[in-house]
Amino acid sequence: MVAPALAFAAAMILLPFIWAVWLSFQETMIGGEPRFAGIANYRRLLADAEFWNAFRLTLLLYFLSLALQLVAGTWLGLLLARTEAARGFVRTVLVSPFMLPPVVIGMMAIVILDPGLGVANWLLAQIGIRPRLFLADPETVMLTVALVDTWQWTPFVALIVLGGYLSLPRDVFEAAEIDGAKTWQRFTRITLPLLGPTLVTAAVLRSVDLLRFFDVIYITTQGGPGNASTTLNILAYRRGFEFFEFGYAAALMVTLSALVFGSVLAFSRIRRAVAW
Amino acid sequence: MRRSFIAGVAAAALGLLTALPAAAQDFNWRAQDGRTITLLLNNHPWSQAMREMQGEFTARTGIRTRIEIFNEEQFRARLTTLMQGRSTEVDVYMSLPSREGAVYKRAGWYTDLAPLIADRSLTAPDFNYEDFGAGMRQQATLDGLVATLPINQEGPLFYWRRDIFARCNVAEPRTVEDIPAAAQALRACDANQGIWAARGLRGAINYALTGFINNLGGSYATPEGRPGLCQPATVRGIEMYASLLKDYGPPGALNHTFTQVIELLGQGRIAMTHESSNEFANIVRFPGRADDLGVRVLPPGRETGTSRPVVIGWGLSISSQSRQRNAAWTFLQWATSAEIQTRLVQNGVAPPRASVFSGPAFAAWVAEQPIRRAWAEALVELGRTGTGVYQSPTDRVPEARDIIGNAVQQVVLGRSSARDAACAADPELARLQ
Repeated sequence: MVAPALAFAAAMILLPFIWAVWLSFQETMIGGEPRFAGIANYRRLLADAEFWNAFRLTLLLYFLSLALQLVAGTWLGLLLARTEAARGFVRTVLVSPFMLPPVVIGMMAIVILDPGLGVANWLLAQIGIRPRLFLADPETVMLTVALVDTWQWTPFVALIVLGGYLSLPRDVFEAAEIDGAKTWQRFTRITLPLLGPTLVTAAVLRSVDLLRFFDVIYITTQGGPGNASTTLNILAYRRGFEFFEFGYAAALMVTLSALVFGSVLAFSRIRRAVAW
Repeated sequence: MRRSFIAGVAAAALGLLTALPAAAQDFNWRAQDGRTITLLLNNHPWSQAMREMQGEFTARTGIRTRIEIFNEEQFRARLTTLMQGRSTEVDVYMSLPSREGAVYKRAGWYTDLAPLIADRSLTAPDFNYEDFGAGMRQQATLDGLVATLPINQEGPLFYWRRDIFARCNVAEPRTVEDIPAAAQALRACDANQGIWAARGLRGAINYALTGFINNLGGSYATPEGRPGLCQPATVRGIEMYASLLKDYGPPGALNHTFTQVIELLGQGRIAMTHESSNEFANIVRFPGRADDLGVRVLPPGRETGTSRPVVIGWGLSISSQSRQRNAAWTFLQWATSAEIQTRLVQNGVAPPRASVFSGPAFAAWVAEQPIRRAWAEALVELGRTGTGVYQSPTDRVPEARDIIGNAVQQVVLGRSSARDAACAADPELARLQ
């Protein structure tokens, strides 16, 4: 019974990955046969300032977005747990952002955040804040992208937190209340520790997505201004499909995959540590 | 009996000999009836028109078409994936020989169209390849291989709002150096009026930048054929382009390409731009623009006295991996025929065929509005003086344009002077040679 599933996994996941690893050791010419290049692509990667910039930006986006989404998602999830009225409706509305295709999110971001025509600057002006360049400013582009992603995926984290919270044993909270624990104490000493495994699950799911984040950046900035939003994915795409350096692009993607695997492994250890 | 037999054989032989060339020349539009071809196209006014006209092609030839249209980056990504994977899925694709011609030719992705053009059994008698302008045929021919049939000609043009210039009593720019001065005067006249917009997205900058460099006497290459961004006149061109964008451009200009620029011009939010001739039809669709705009090639440099704009032409190629070569060739002939090009003018596609350009239908269309006449005259100028080279010497064109675009962005961002950015780019460009 396991064999078909294994065969499927091998065909759909393992083989493409093995092929990508093989390609990363090749020198490729467009239209030509790949030639074995040893670790040349990886050596080039280590000496490439663009790679290190992309590596830094990938991690920046990852930690910034993950932190924002976990904090906001936990708050929203707990808020939802206390919402009695129109619970079904509220949950349906919450699901909508992460049901939208990334291309729609990207186009919405372009329209809303356009420095000249967008509604975001108009709203800021209403409360006396000067206009921002958002996606067009190298200093703010990554924060803007992180906020766009947070807007889209916080509800997803919130729903996971909500599910986890509702499954927690009620008697612990009742005992804490009887013992006189304040709201903040109950949150930090009971709710958060008990939600630990749930939050780690949410973090793992978001980590994989955040590390391979591509669509919204490509649609809104194509990695710019300059290289200010060129993450590893964007860099690999450009190297592969715009400059035809498939071997080097494969090396970049294998490195990114290693980051993803590393992150999942780290979280699996954390999950064991926070299990109760 | 014997004599009549010999006479009969001789007559039959003579008949066969005379009939052979006649059969060979007997081109038939329906020879590929029942076949299906797949077209991979860039999102372009020409492609949109083709989607609407594909039924007519099928009615005439019996060949069915599957058309896939993507935005330029996705179009190239899909084409690269399919061709690199040796897929036979695509039969016809759009190509820009000035950009990717050398690389695609080296990869063997083009079918040489020369033998097809010469084959009278496959080519319509009135096809007339020489009707395409000499410059365009030259751009489409790579070391003797005819890679594409031209479907349009285009280049960046200088568009300006005549009404705003008149209202502010500012003289229309006669030289490229007049543009910053005019921008300053317009700003002083009306602080609420947007002044300038142009491409700021890294990979898109070169197309609009090159006219500034050329007209000021600069070049992307040194006389020795090395990258030459650091040359004084070239630096001046970069400086002027970046300063216009920085001082008079819309906020967020570094993420703008032609779509945003056209929208700003069409909506009346800017007074000047340097944008593609190909977008003419889209621009004049906006209310009022057909009446208040002026259009011409970028004004010449004050000292050089010359204007040397970019001119490029998209072309149609047959994939070397296509299994429907003859059906694909039938499509290419139909799509680039004088009849179809005459109709495509209505969609703002500048015809690459001389007979269409100087024909009565085009002349009548042009005569309907003064702005169309100005546009047509600018196209003639593009064809006469334009260049297809808009990066430093290399086969790795997209990378070179990316490096140059990045240098300009650094200047717009105020992170570098034009000279420093240009001189820093030259060694990077040299690595691509």
